[in-house]
Amino acid sequence: MSPIIKVNNLSKHFKVYRYHRGAWGALRNLFSPQYQLIRAVDGISFEVHPGELVGYLGPNGAGKSTTIKMLAGLLVPTAGELIVNNRVPWKERKAHVARIGAVFGQRTTLWWDLPVIESLELLQYIYAIPPKRFQQNMATFRDLLELDSFLHTPVRSLSLGQRMRADMVAALLHDPVLLFLDEPTIGLDVVSKERIRKFIQHINREQGTTIILTTHDLSDVEKLCERVLIIDHGKLLYDGSLNTLKERFGGERELCVEYAEDYLSIEVEGATVSEHNGQRVTYKFEREKITASELISRISLRYRIRDLEVREPDIETTVRRIYEEQLLEK
Amino acid sequence: MSSTLDIYRRLLLLQFRSQMQYRMSFLFYILNTALITTFEFGSLVLVMQRFENIGGWRLGEVAFLYSIVKAVFSLMDMIFSGFDPPYFGRNVRLGTFDQLLLRPVNITVQVLGSRFELHRLGNIILGLVIFVFAMQLTDIQWTWIKLLYLPLVFLGQICFFGGLFILGSTITFWTVDSIETVNIFTYGGSEMIAYPMHIYHQWMRLFFTFIVPAIFLNYYPALYILDKPDLFNMPPFVFFLAPIVGFISLTAASAFWRFGIKHYQSTGT
Amino acid sequence: MRVFLEIALRSFRRQMTYRAAALAGLATNFFFGLLRAAVLVALYGEHSEVAGISLQSAVTFTGLSQAAIAPLSMFHWYDVMRSVYSGEVASDLLKPMSYFRFWLVQDFGRAAASFIWRSLTIMAGYAVMFDLTYPHNIEQWAVLGLAMLLSWLVSFSWRFLINLAAFWTPNAIGLNRLFFILSWFLSGFLMPLRYFPDWFVRLCYLTPFPHMVNSLVEIYLGVLTGHEVFQTLLLQAVWAVCLTLCSQLVLRLGVRRLVILGG
Repeated sequence: MSPIIKVNNLSKHFKVYRYHRGAWGALRNLFSPQYQLIRAVDGISFEVHPGELVGYLGPNGAGKSTTIKMLAGLLVPTAGELIVNNRVPWKERKAHVARIGAVFGQRTTLWWDLPVIESLELLQYIYAIPPKRFQQNMATFRDLLELDSFLHTPVRSLSLGQRMRADMVAALLHDPVLLFLDEPTIGLDVVSKERIRKFIQHINREQGTTIILTTHDLSDVEKLCERVLIIDHGKLLYDGSLNTLKERFGGERELCVEYAEDYLSIEVEGATVSEHNGQRVTYKFEREKITASELISRISLRYRIRDLEVREPDIETTVRRIYEEQLLEK
Repeated sequence: MSSTLDIYRRLLLLQFRSQMQYRMSFLFYILNTALITTFEFGSLVLVMQRFENIGGWRLGEVAFLYSIVKAVFSLMDMIFSGFDPPYFGRNVRLGTFDQLLLRPVNITVQVLGSRFELHRLGNIILGLVIFVFAMQLTDIQWTWIKLLYLPLVFLGQICFFGGLFILGSTITFWTVDSIETVNIFTYGGSEMIAYPMHIYHQWMRLFFTFIVPAIFLNYYPALYILDKPDLFNMPPFVFFLAPIVGFISLTAASAFWRFGIKHYQSTGT
Repeated sequence: MRVFLEIALRSFRRQMTYRAAALAGLATNFFFGLLRAAVLVALYGEHSEVAGISLQSAVTFTGLSQAAIAPLSMFHWYDVMRSVYSGEVASDLLKPMSYFRFWLVQDFGRAAASFIWRSLTIMAGYAVMFDLTYPHNIEQWAVLGLAMLLSWLVSFSWRFLINLAAFWTPNAIGLNRLFFILSWFLSGFLMPLRYFPDWFVRLCYLTPFPHMVNSLVEIYLGVLTGHEVFQTLLLQAVWAVCLTLCSQLVLRLGVRRLVILGG
């Protein structure tokens, strides 16, 4: 099967003009504008096949949103090849956009002052969805996302969780083949997050919708993606399975323990103590050398534990590690 | 094509329903805009009891000029609300414009359908009322040509100022700061052509004849309809330039708009 | 006392940062000022004086009215309203100083900055372009200074008062805008009130608006006799005092309402 997204040596450079201050500066601006070339995306290549659920990760400013904008057809690349769903996105905007969907965690795509259902009905006409298909999808989504409780509420009155669900429906009503999710669970409580995640999984598995997930929430990625792409400073650092990523670069994890007593010596085999504050101890351990449960067992055999927490390195640390160690996955 | 118009119609309906949600605000809006026009024209009427004329034009003739601009500009403002430069600029900065690019609908139609200031209706009606008042005070010798030309004058003004709106909005793709100065050209411009333009300084008049030909939008058509002499002895065809000036303005602005969108897609601002 | 000076200075400095907006505002001022001047010249036609105002004074007037906009916040002022709606008012009221005085001093700083950077610039531009009328002697300038202060005080206490509507209704902005519109036409901002028929002028003087602009303009242009000048200043002062007292009373009622309803 041919890939639904084909990116080859894609680059996007921005010229950021330096603004000189003051009157002389204004003159300089006019005659010799100085600019800085920002390589937001710098020669990345990858392929995505239909039905994949891919995580697209990277620190802020890494080039994530620039890539997504190019894939969506909002931005024209500076160089390289980009084919999505057999089209060049920015060249055939309307045709391209009719087959994709997008959800932005930070803001809604719906009309603020009107009930959700009216927004969705308008989208029916905007995407030219056949009435029967519209009814079918509405029925499915109403069931899966429990929309009935707020279907007739104006968007401005919705809670964050409700708004996110409504935006999901809005993005999928027209059966897009490709869905972009940008921070879809940001700010949600645990229950709502779980609900959204289950829904994303359902869409991916039952409908075969290809999904590109951009997020800072590692648990989103853990639960949903098998494959991740990591971008930093415009370059693709990693393209492969999540498990491999964790195994190879997961590196150090932390176990924070609150003991029931003040122990003098809290050493344990397989881990090093990084902090010791009265009854609070932080251990650092390598994923490859010992699992968390093993470590916990060892500790609990020797000491009495009141509470504990396992901390994963955040994506920033992992990415920085990858970058510093100059590792690129082929 | 029909579906695009259909979507435009639906977007407008949405705007209408949204505004009806805030009924009190809407009523205040209508009241306030109507009040401004009433007071503005009322002041003119009262003050002209003391002065005989403005540059030789009597109250009825000035009312003729004023009412046309008032009604037509408000109509344009209503239709092109989405292209109101400060409003559009805000959308670009907030990223809401990107939303439009993600929908499989013509961008211009979406912008037009994104806002529709219904409350301008108050001014449109008032403008028409004052126009009727002007008819009573003046003694226009109507001919078929004049009657047929009048709607073309309206159209010319709508297109001209609509083009100005579009131009101002397109500029916001490049500017970082707000674009408040554009209001001088739109609102200021409309106020300027509401008076007989021979009262202005020569350099101003020449500017608005040869560089920004606003003098042909209202003043010259009024000269023609009111059968008043042209003090500057321009060739007679200039009386009929209103729709042409409007058409050129709108066409040029639209070309710039399309260029602006292309530029926005290359640089993302 | 020191605190109030600090507040005024801070407000003054803040005005200086709005450079781009100020430039745009100045351009607007000049455009509309010149437009109105042209209309007035056309109205005068062959006359050199109408209603006791010479043509030169009429042109000066158009500059004065534009200069009055910024310091008197004539087009919009919703700061207090916004703080009530956002809930900020609660923390402001907890501060150990009079709420009214707090805003008074802030507005003075703002008005002073606007006066220096906008009003004086406009008049300077006008002076370059036209022959203007100026007050004749030191006394007139002194009286003018007093009138300007009173003008601002009337304007501020009025704006403050109508903003307080926010304590009672969520639609305060529509109501306020209504009053601002009235102020443009009843204050002598558009045209000196002398041009209007007597009945209209009498109506205007039932409101505080003429004391924001018209009184100031007439004193500047010297169209009033000494006796009338004194009367005008007195009326301005009376309005200023009444509006100030009214504001503080209404504020107290508003705060009580706020406290009772729990914001």
